[in-house]
Amino acid sequence: MPSISTLAAYEGFILIGGFFGIVFWKLLTGGIGLSQLLEGDIRDPNSPGGYSTQVSAGRAQSLLITLFVALYYLSQVIHNPKEFPRLPGGLIEALAGSQAVYLGGKAQAMLLGRWRNIVK
Amino acid sequence: MKNPEFVASVILTVLVTIVIAVWVKGDPTTKVKLALSYGALILLFLFGFLILAAIASGKIDISTLLSESGGGASMSRFQLLIFTFVIALSFFLIVVSSSRLPDVPADVLALLGISATTYGVSKGIQAGGGLQSKSGPNGGGNGAAATDGTNDTKKSS
Repeated sequence: MPSISTLAAYEGFILIGGFFGIVFWKLLTGGIGLSQLLEGDIRDPNSPGGYSTQVSAGRAQSLLITLFVALYYLSQVIHNPKEFPRLPGGLIEALAGSQAVYLGGKAQAMLLGRWRNIVK
Repeated sequence: MKNPEFVASVILTVLVTIVIAVWVKGDPTTKVKLALSYGALILLFLFGFLILAAIASGKIDISTLLSESGGGASMSRFQLLIFTFVIALSFFLIVVSSSRLPDVPADVLALLGISATTYGVSKGIQAGGGLQSKSGPNGGGNGAAATDGTNDTKKSS
């Protein structure tokens, strides 16, 4: 009979791996929608609903930085799975700055609209 | 019977507990501890498996997991999902390899804090903007409005 800790480890692998697998599979097959992930809303007085969508550079850079930080963190954990890895301070600052740029762009787009409409 | 899987899980756990208590060699105290420990582990696993099976079969619908109110995928939700997965997986790997609960450093809290704060502020901006719909009045690309607990009568937040 396996020990309790071994059994718990196997169960954890199955449950966590199963959950990640299901979510990942649904993301790949469209079960969880990713449409318009890089498109943001922008205030548009010419549009019927008052808003239109456009590709957002803020979202694109946020996605890139998020994926980079996540992959870096995972690689550090796989390299040394005994403790949580220490992230360089610059990386956390870059992530925070990236989120600030994303939120600033979102606020400007939704509350003010296009620059050419503001300037007019 | 509304949930036969739940009942079957409990019965299976009780059976395993009885088998361990009766057949495993050792003094009675050890046998009781082992029986309860294994029983609790198996019960937790079966409950978790039931939830996974419900998600996989669609009984628990997660199709709008990343949707904004009004349709379309939310970047802040996606980022929160990614970081939650990464940190949960890291925590599990560390616990399995070191057999102890690790100290959680400030970096991990900062990562989760940044993504959660981004999500919260993004929701606030969306609410402040009074958005009707990302793709027009008929809803988002997947035809599903986000169900995030807010009681919105229209598609906008």
